[in-house]
Amino acid sequence: MLSDLLYRLRALSRRKSIEAELDEELRAHLERQVEKYIQSGLTREEALRRARLEFGGLEQVKEECRDARGVNFIQTLIQDVRYGLRMLAKNPAFTAVAVLTLALGIGANTAIFTLVNAVMLKSLPVANPQELYRVGNDDNCCVIGGFQGNWGIYSYSLYQQFRDHTPEFSQMAAFQGGLGDLSVRRGGASRPAEAYAGEFVSGNYFTMFGISASAGRLIAPADDRPGAPPVAVMSYRAWQQHFGFDPSVIGATFIINTMPFTVAGIAPPGFFGDTLRSDPPDFWLSLSTEPALNGQYSVLNHADMHWLYIIGRLKPGAQPASVQSELTAEVQHWQGAQPDLTAQNRSELGKQHIVLAPGGGGVARLQADSAMGLRLLMAISGLVLLIACANIANLMLARGAARRTETAIRTALGAPRRRLIRQMLTESILLAVLGGAAGLIVAWSGARAILQIAFRGASYVPISPNPSLPVLGFAFAVSLLTGIIFGVAPAWVASRCDPAEALRGAGRSTHDRSSLPRKSLVVLQVALSEVLLIGAGLLTQTLRNLENQKFGFETQGRIIARVDPALAAYKPEQLYALYQQLRQRLTQIPGVLSAAYSLYSPMQDENWATDIPIEGRPSDERDNASFDRVSPRYFETIGTRLLRGRVITEEDTSTSPQVAVINQTFARKYLPNQDPIGKHLGFLKPSEFEIVGVVEDAKYMDARGPAYPTFFLPFLQTAKDPKLSWLERSQYMGDIELRVAGRPENLNAEVRRTLADIDPNLTVLDMKSLSEQVAQNFNQERLLARLTELFGALALILACVGLYGVTAYSVARRTNEIGIRMALGADRKSVLALVLRGTLGLIVLGLAIGIPAALAGGRVLASLLYGVKAWDPLTLGLGAVALALCALVAAFIPARRGTKVDPIVALRYE
Amino acid sequence: MNNERIDLPQGTLDLLILKTVALEPQHGWAISERIQQISSEVLRIQQGSLYPALHRLERRGWIKAKWGTSENNRRAKYYELTKSGRKQLEAEETAWRKLIAAVGQVLETA
Repeated sequence: MLSDLLYRLRALSRRKSIEAELDEELRAHLERQVEKYIQSGLTREEALRRARLEFGGLEQVKEECRDARGVNFIQTLIQDVRYGLRMLAKNPAFTAVAVLTLALGIGANTAIFTLVNAVMLKSLPVANPQELYRVGNDDNCCVIGGFQGNWGIYSYSLYQQFRDHTPEFSQMAAFQGGLGDLSVRRGGASRPAEAYAGEFVSGNYFTMFGISASAGRLIAPADDRPGAPPVAVMSYRAWQQHFGFDPSVIGATFIINTMPFTVAGIAPPGFFGDTLRSDPPDFWLSLSTEPALNGQYSVLNHADMHWLYIIGRLKPGAQPASVQSELTAEVQHWQGAQPDLTAQNRSELGKQHIVLAPGGGGVARLQADSAMGLRLLMAISGLVLLIACANIANLMLARGAARRTETAIRTALGAPRRRLIRQMLTESILLAVLGGAAGLIVAWSGARAILQIAFRGASYVPISPNPSLPVLGFAFAVSLLTGIIFGVAPAWVASRCDPAEALRGAGRSTHDRSSLPRKSLVVLQVALSEVLLIGAGLLTQTLRNLENQKFGFETQGRIIARVDPALAAYKPEQLYALYQQLRQRLTQIPGVLSAAYSLYSPMQDENWATDIPIEGRPSDERDNASFDRVSPRYFETIGTRLLRGRVITEEDTSTSPQVAVINQTFARKYLPNQDPIGKHLGFLKPSEFEIVGVVEDAKYMDARGPAYPTFFLPFLQTAKDPKLSWLERSQYMGDIELRVAGRPENLNAEVRRTLADIDPNLTVLDMKSLSEQVAQNFNQERLLARLTELFGALALILACVGLYGVTAYSVARRTNEIGIRMALGADRKSVLALVLRGTLGLIVLGLAIGIPAALAGGRVLASLLYGVKAWDPLTLGLGAVALALCALVAAFIPARRGTKVDPIVALRYE
Repeated sequence: MNNERIDLPQGTLDLLILKTVALEPQHGWAISERIQQISSEVLRIQQGSLYPALHRLERRGWIKAKWGTSENNRRAKYYELTKSGRKQLEAEETAWRKLIAAVGQVLETA
């Protein structure tokens, strides 16, 4: 094999001398033969003639010799590539369309699969992820009490129970379900505290994942003991971005929420924790520091507060199924042993169970949330690839047909069929390689754009936009195959036909064998484009309906700033002074029309729901309602209208009568057919707060569903019952709302400055306009809508290019026929109609296939739609009309050109 | 006049060339002459087809070529058998004889 290659290469490098030798050798043979014949008495001419006849075609023999030597392969390849490049350069329009089509087909698929791969298929960057199992598969968050049925989140006590009584696990680690906001300042630094994301983890968290520090050390079990010196681990990214790899960070003291921590070390690069999410933790803290950090709101030592997820490493050979039933038995046993278990709880004990889920991918919340959307995107990008392939096929077929005469001439000149096909093959591969290279660029920038849309509002997403190699290879292979099949097929057909016939012009008859596959491809393109266009229409309407719905508040001209006085270690009794100052100072900023603060702001995706007794309802029954605490002028600031009674004002203080404002749904659901003003509600007794007003419904959580029944309380009013100590946390504001004149973004700096002025420890965790806060709820919808729009437009263009090509080609082939018709008296209009009739047939056929397909696709989409039906007649109609119009224009241009032909010229055109 | 001539069965040309150059190095024309002479002008070789075969055998390493001077002082490319060519010749000869014997047996008994 190697010697053969060397032989070939040597032959290639000595090409000139070998050619000369070959020439000399063959010539010598002929001379000897001629001499022999002359000696036997023939004339010189006769001898020459016979010798040549016997020898065969000199050039053909030479070519066969070159073939036999194997030199030809490489030489021909160079020749073919050169020729192919020349042909591509000669038809820039064809080349551009083909390369662009391939690039988009390959690029779109690669970009989307890169995302799918990162979200759905990739494991955490830890040791042996296939050994990891998560205890539970439910994504409940963040602090939960009571029974869960299907368990997923646990208290520290329950975690200890599992850890110490399930020997099948070699390691079992616990970590916080939801991330916490941290306000972090380097010890001794003068800069104000900055906001970071933090996560409490058990001492064996890093050991369980089997990872080691990139600098310093990671949290160890010894750090997770009461009284151990508090240590933190910093993420590699935070170390890089905020501290520039400063080695003195390791071992340094950092003030986290006013408590000093030592940074023990840096996590390895690429490690983003246990859950794939945007803005992963910057700091990991050991569970044992939670009580000190959260003070009276600590949950660590409450056996009935479930806030930890658990992932463990199963020992080799352990059976997940039996471990699962063991865990289920443990949770039932543990619950049964809890004090103050109600009779109802006891009856539900048997239903409590745990699912042991594969944990190599970590907590699969993002996966569960985006599975449907990602699947849809895969389907759409697959359609685009299909359309792109159809387009390439069409282009290739057209080209093959256009080059029939050329093929015929080359066959007539003695080119073997193998050689012709090889030439076409080389060109197809060249095209695919060019398209693939361009596709790589599209894939990379596409993946970046997709990440930006999908994770709008995130400052960091631990997903790389670099295309995943397997899918790039796959998309490339598909387009290569398409190019090869449809590039070679016409060459094969052409090389089989009689060159004489092709040269005589038989190729210009009205009958055309290659037009059937081309027409089918165009019909397919039209149908697929229709599906995509209608899908794009439905998803775009969904997004518009969601974004422009009546939220019950104003999205424009509002700023939301997230702050948490608890992080700055405010005691409940200090809050009143802070709140007083806050509203006063913020209102003084020029451009701020009104200022308010609340526990939760609208569409912030947080909610506090609780079961409460309401006056007039059956006494043993409790009704579930969401609750929020709001400042004076809150409703005015966010633009929620008051319907009855009054709103919460400055007069509602901790000493004044306790009042509540409810929303319409609350009134309709729990106090129907009566005046709710003057009725009471409470947390323990239905008499604690008097309802003084009703406001219109506003959405706080779920943009697709109706508003939840909600009651609003003033800050600082709370029942003094010790049973309600958990309610104290609700005294701390979460958001500041500002109604401003002009662009909200213009005031950001001034607001930050004012807040830092009030208290430098009052870290602004996040600040954005309310419209942005709302918009971030629709990231997935936006991604789907934008991508289907893009792909729909792309498909439309490709289908039009296809139709243009088919029509132009058929006009070119029928020039003769058109000439005859016109010579016989047909006018331009009837000729135009003749040509367009054929194309119109294709369009109608495409729509006839596309619309039912779109309807079927719409049923899949149904769960993603909002405010629009899958069979929305307007969308269907518009999609069809838009497609038909574009397609007709694409067909009309070449058709009209055809009718402009002078009949005399057309007839002479041979 | 040469109606008696028969075309070579496919694949036998290689065998004949190897056998011909096994005695002494030969140039192309001489090889074709010799095959015809020895076969008493029965085998007909398309002269042109000889050369691709020679080049193919050379590439396989069964024969090697070198330039030399012929009887009347003309430059000519001589082909000679290599070691592996000799092995190949033996193998092909054996195979051929087996084939002949088998075909002959069938023709006689059937």
